Amino acid sequence: MYKIQINEVYMTTKEDIANFIDKIPPTPKVLKETLFLLNTGELTKAAKVAETDLALRAYLKSIVNKPIYGFRNEVSDIGQIFGILGVSLSYQTVYNYMINLLSPSKWTLFKLNEKSFHTLQANLSKKWDLILEHLNIDNKDIHSSITLLPSSIIVCEALFSKSIDDVKLLRNTKSLDYNTILSRLCNVTLFDICEKIAVKWGMDEIIPKIVQASSGIKHSNDEEIDNLGKWMHLLLFYELSQTQFVDAGLNDFIDFQIDYVGDIYDDFATLMEIS
Amino acid sequence: MKAVVKNGVGVFSPQGFLDANNNSAFLSVEDMEATTNLKVDMILVSMKKVIFFNRNGLDVFIKLFAKIRKKNHTVVGFCDYDHKKYASIKKFYKNDINFSLFKSLEIAYLFSSNFKEKDKKILLYSSDKHQRSAMAIELHNNGHHPLIIQTQKEFEEKKVIRDLYDYVICDSYLGEMGNMIASRVTGNAIIYSVSSYLDADISDSFNIQYHKNSLNVGFRLFIFDAYKVISMNVHALNFFSRLASYAAEYNASIAFVGLSFDKTPEVFKENLEDSGILFYEQMDDILENKELLKELGASSAANIKQKRVINKATVIELPRFIDATVATIEMMTNSKAIKEAVEVHNIEITDKKDKIASSIGYYGDMDGMVILIFPTHIAKKACELLIGETTEDMELIIDTLAELANIVGGKIKTLLSDDNINVDITLPRTYQDIDSLLEVVANRKGVQVDLSFDDNKFLFFLTR
Repeated sequence: MYKIQINEVYMTTKEDIANFIDKIPPTPKVLKETLFLLNTGELTKAAKVAETDLALRAYLKSIVNKPIYGFRNEVSDIGQIFGILGVSLSYQTVYNYMINLLSPSKWTLFKLNEKSFHTLQANLSKKWDLILEHLNIDNKDIHSSITLLPSSIIVCEALFSKSIDDVKLLRNTKSLDYNTILSRLCNVTLFDICEKIAVKWGMDEIIPKIVQASSGIKHSNDEEIDNLGKWMHLLLFYELSQTQFVDAGLNDFIDFQIDYVGDIYDDFATLMEIS
Repeated sequence: MKAVVKNGVGVFSPQGFLDANNNSAFLSVEDMEATTNLKVDMILVSMKKVIFFNRNGLDVFIKLFAKIRKKNHTVVGFCDYDHKKYASIKKFYKNDINFSLFKSLEIAYLFSSNFKEKDKKILLYSSDKHQRSAMAIELHNNGHHPLIIQTQKEFEEKKVIRDLYDYVICDSYLGEMGNMIASRVTGNAIIYSVSSYLDADISDSFNIQYHKNSLNVGFRLFIFDAYKVISMNVHALNFFSRLASYAAEYNASIAFVGLSFDKTPEVFKENLEDSGILFYEQMDDILENKELLKELGASSAANIKQKRVINKATVIELPRFIDATVATIEMMTNSKAIKEAVEVHNIEITDKKDKIASSIGYYGDMDGMVILIFPTHIAKKACELLIGETTEDMELIIDTLAELANIVGGKIKTLLSDDNINVDITLPRTYQDIDSLLEVVANRKGVQVDLSFDDNKFLFFLTR
């Protein structure tokens, strides 16, 4: 297992951020090969390669057997999992696993654990798929873009966990979200760091662009990307309004840009059956 | 969720969606109580970043509001919403609204006695005439000038002439207002507002701990705004006499403004005057008279009840105080601090030019006062994180410096609690120049720590 220890980074200088990015390893060979085979539609071969990584295998099993995936019986064979998910969603799930490798073994800033973080990944992914279906978009990179979004939470944990008390005092005095604090201290946002992760892992360039737009503060000039950014921003706050994530302290980790999503809210509410 | 407190208003800011499933996660009794412990006038939930809510989503807040109101008499309610959200809340609760609604946080501040700005011109409209009157009275009491509009049509016409008014109030509603004795700070004087009949209840509604802490921090002039007092009985008389005796120990002054003796025995006035309480007809008689202010001690706090020395407990905890301060300033300036000297003596400031200061007191298992002296440009840098931009506005910098002192105080409180030492912190005080600081601490012995941030000298002084 490639659990990467990056949460020893101290906040908040540019050097700390550079250290953080430096510590992100290149894409592991097994994952690279799995993604390559998925990309060429070779699901069976991809499954065989994925089988060799026990941690990946365990992750795939745990994620697709979450209630939100709706399978009646437990699915345990990787070939079966890839077969059920299809190319786009298999690709997305492997990316989710990669992002999961960055997560700390123990969360301190946010009250999360491995299970709840997986739940967040699964919830975002399934609902993102629903949104893309609604928008008639079938593109594996756009499907995978949602996987990069939770990395902003991991980055936040890594950069601020050593200074929890200071940051909390600051946030009690002034209504500042973590993204604003980082931006004012280092002129870099959490989403800029996510972009660097995407580049380092060779993700398609549309992925960080959508995630940047989903911050709600760096809009894209590309209408389609901006629209996807709005949906992703609203989806993130829909998910972060769930009790377990409010309890985890995630509800206000970044600022919700309510005006940004005003024009898609009604569609979103209908799609998510909010009443 | 934690509240952000400013101008005596504690605000919780949930984001996203509020419904029956998640509402209890956003706010708990403990969150509310922690906020009321900060002696706020109001506790509000901001709806600014809530995109969806239903009645079930608000019900938990309403229940918590009721508890807090009953226990602490704090004003509670919602703020920061548009007309659609306002109409929804009114529809959900119809005639059963016991909480307040303020269209924006800025409007809520106008109803807080802790809000420093006064004399604001306010255009005010509500379709409910009782609400119009209630709001106008509160605004007037807080020193503003409301213009009440009777009809929607007239309001629509008037509100477009935006330059004529500092604020426009509509879509707002006053629930029950608090009945604690409100206090506000004007310059270095503290003004308490009292009204109606003053009797034995004043002992409960007057926050004596706040008053004592204010004395400890260095406030020396306390004014009772008594325009609306009808009369007082012997219990209230005894209360004020005791307060005057206590103030005398600190060489502090207590004054009544606007108190009428139509229904209060004249002999009471003589008794209070004998205790050292002063009487003025108008607030401006004091606040506009610089000489008098100086004489009454509002600009000076030099004569302390007892000059106390730094004790062993303080020395043991000194590293924590320094750590708390250094960590906070390092965080705010993003630069490393170097400790240059630690000595026990009276405060020594070699170069008084271009320096500003702030202080914050703590009390409880230990007591004392931390003073931070900044070169002005370091103060500006330290405040940039809170302000969000560089600024030359000294008033804003001084205000923000108070917030910074609050953060340091909060950090000290946290670090001490790790050692099971429980303290509370006072309101921060700021000094625009070093001379006004020296009037308070010139003869007090304490621990002085000279620090350097990127070659800029910064001074920390801990005294009792």
